[in-house]
Amino acid sequence: MPGPYPGQVARVHAAKCIDEQSEKVDATVVREMIAQGMCAITGDKDARDSWARFFTPSDVVGIKVNCSGAPGIMSTPEVVAEIVRNVIAVGVKPEKVWIYERFRNQVDSVHYDRFVPHGVNIWTAEQSRGSIAGYDPGTYVDVNFFGEEDTRSNLARLVVDPLSKIINVPNMKDHGAAGVTGCLKNIAYGSFSNVARSHSGFKTNTYSFIGTLAEVEPLRSRTVLQIMDGLRGVWHGGPFSFKRKFRFYPKEMMVGTDPVSVDRLLLDVIDNKRAAEHASSVWDRSMANVKPGWNYDDNPSINRFIREPGHIEYASTLGLGVYDIGKIQVRKIEL
Amino acid sequence: MLVFVAAALLPALYWDQGVSTANAVKQAGVERLYVPPDQVAAWKGQGFDAQAFHPAKFVKVPPPGVEYKMDVTAATSAPWVDSNGWRFARDGSHTYYYDVPWRKAALAPAEAYANGVAAVIHPDARDLTRFGKMLAFLKSIDGPALPAMANVGIIDDGSDETGEVLNLMARRNLLYRVVAAPDPTLDLNIQIGSPDFSKEAAADPFAFATLVRQKLTDEKRLLRLYGSDVVLGRLNGDAAHVRVHLINYGGGKVDGLRVRVRGEYAHGTLAAFGVPRVALTDYAVSDGGTEFTIPTMDVYAVVDLKK
Repeated sequence: MPGPYPGQVARVHAAKCIDEQSEKVDATVVREMIAQGMCAITGDKDARDSWARFFTPSDVVGIKVNCSGAPGIMSTPEVVAEIVRNVIAVGVKPEKVWIYERFRNQVDSVHYDRFVPHGVNIWTAEQSRGSIAGYDPGTYVDVNFFGEEDTRSNLARLVVDPLSKIINVPNMKDHGAAGVTGCLKNIAYGSFSNVARSHSGFKTNTYSFIGTLAEVEPLRSRTVLQIMDGLRGVWHGGPFSFKRKFRFYPKEMMVGTDPVSVDRLLLDVIDNKRAAEHASSVWDRSMANVKPGWNYDDNPSINRFIREPGHIEYASTLGLGVYDIGKIQVRKIEL
Repeated sequence: MLVFVAAALLPALYWDQGVSTANAVKQAGVERLYVPPDQVAAWKGQGFDAQAFHPAKFVKVPPPGVEYKMDVTAATSAPWVDSNGWRFARDGSHTYYYDVPWRKAALAPAEAYANGVAAVIHPDARDLTRFGKMLAFLKSIDGPALPAMANVGIIDDGSDETGEVLNLMARRNLLYRVVAAPDPTLDLNIQIGSPDFSKEAAADPFAFATLVRQKLTDEKRLLRLYGSDVVLGRLNGDAAHVRVHLINYGGGKVDGLRVRVRGEYAHGTLAAFGVPRVALTDYAVSDGGTEFTIPTMDVYAVVDLKK
């Protein structure tokens, strides 16, 4: 990261990609959205050439899904299946494709296995919550936020070995602590252990921790593609989706290699939606609106934490991508 | 050269279920036990090393375990560990008595053994087999006792407030010993009421333990545990050999616990209660420390490190 296309994002909107009532996804439309997005970001005419720019048959490919809001919202199985199909089409064997996430119970609720070819691996770092057995003991960020005993956040073993490339597939979601959860947070907090400690108090440490984790090698260099799944979105209460009234349907996918640029655009998607719903901005830092407990779950102007949407700009200072909206080249496609 | 002192005392059983249960007790591998005074002769007649149980001879301690306190708002979700280690550090000269509820019969003897104190355990009758398994495990690892390792000294005024400080330091795996006066061989000495460690600070023992940790620094800590809030550790050892005691208060198994011990040790072996044929993984020696992973552990695990 930020890869070969810094500051460039393809935005593909398709009104028919998902039915808002049934939430049924049209896989054919999804296929076209991803193909158009890949071509737009690379300049290729044939999406197969675009995929071949990123992957070779010798690669071991990880697909970092997001299931923290499952079953209400997650990296849509039809989207993940289409990504898998393209990776296999390049020549990568199904056995060398790994869909991964941190928590077993969340992934199990999605049933990706029903959508991808036999042989594709579905892997989680924590079979039981809190176990660090699935993380590499030698690759970690050591930081003491509030006097906690365990000061390490370790990188998932899978990322260290055997993956050679990673495709990041976040959703479009509000996040009570980080402001939004997009590419950066999905790849960072979704690949390291012991990260919730960064938002255990009203004032969180997400501002700098997200980018700090995202730039750790080999995670940084192996994450080569960002495909943001915005078929569904969450405009409040994220990263979870306990209440459907806070879900919305952007019907959009963003494709790029630069996580900062994609997330910068996501900030506006979420904040504009919150404004339309007369909710407080993701930039609101008033302690008057921060309340403990579950009040936030019903009132979109109550915050659980002071949100830190600035984590995206901070990540840009680490060289992870382009934050300046005036310098981001957006290619919009309407299907 | 190892300093050989008396082997650690194995915890004893207090059993009040009557001599008709003698076969079950034998099958559990128990040979020495305390019984109600009027049953001593009968138990001896069955071939047991039986002694009369007189509560006044023992210091009763609470059953160890963990409280999750889900209804209490806190800055951390770390559960509350009920450990007696601090009591033993304060005064380990007695024989301690545990009256433990069902499913705690393995934890109490492990805690006593790891802390090197004599103890009598009164388990729930349904836990006899589990108690016996722990006793067998302790026998299998028993050997010459090594001195407890600590690099923090604390002057104990005997107050409840200082007791809670000792408790919180033990729960943070800050390895200390009670001293009568500051010991210059230790990395840090604590005298509550001194400019560095005021009485006001000690009134909040959680924050006080954090203060101690800051002043000691993590780099100087003898033991660090990663991956669990419910495992506490102790070290015994000398210049060439260290035994790491790991006690899991949580009630469930802990997978992947990562341990860092100050000092470089080339060799390590693991014995874990209830987990046969398990070995240390990801063993690494660097930067003045030794690190390894316990793949899985139940109530108690012991790691022996050698130079």
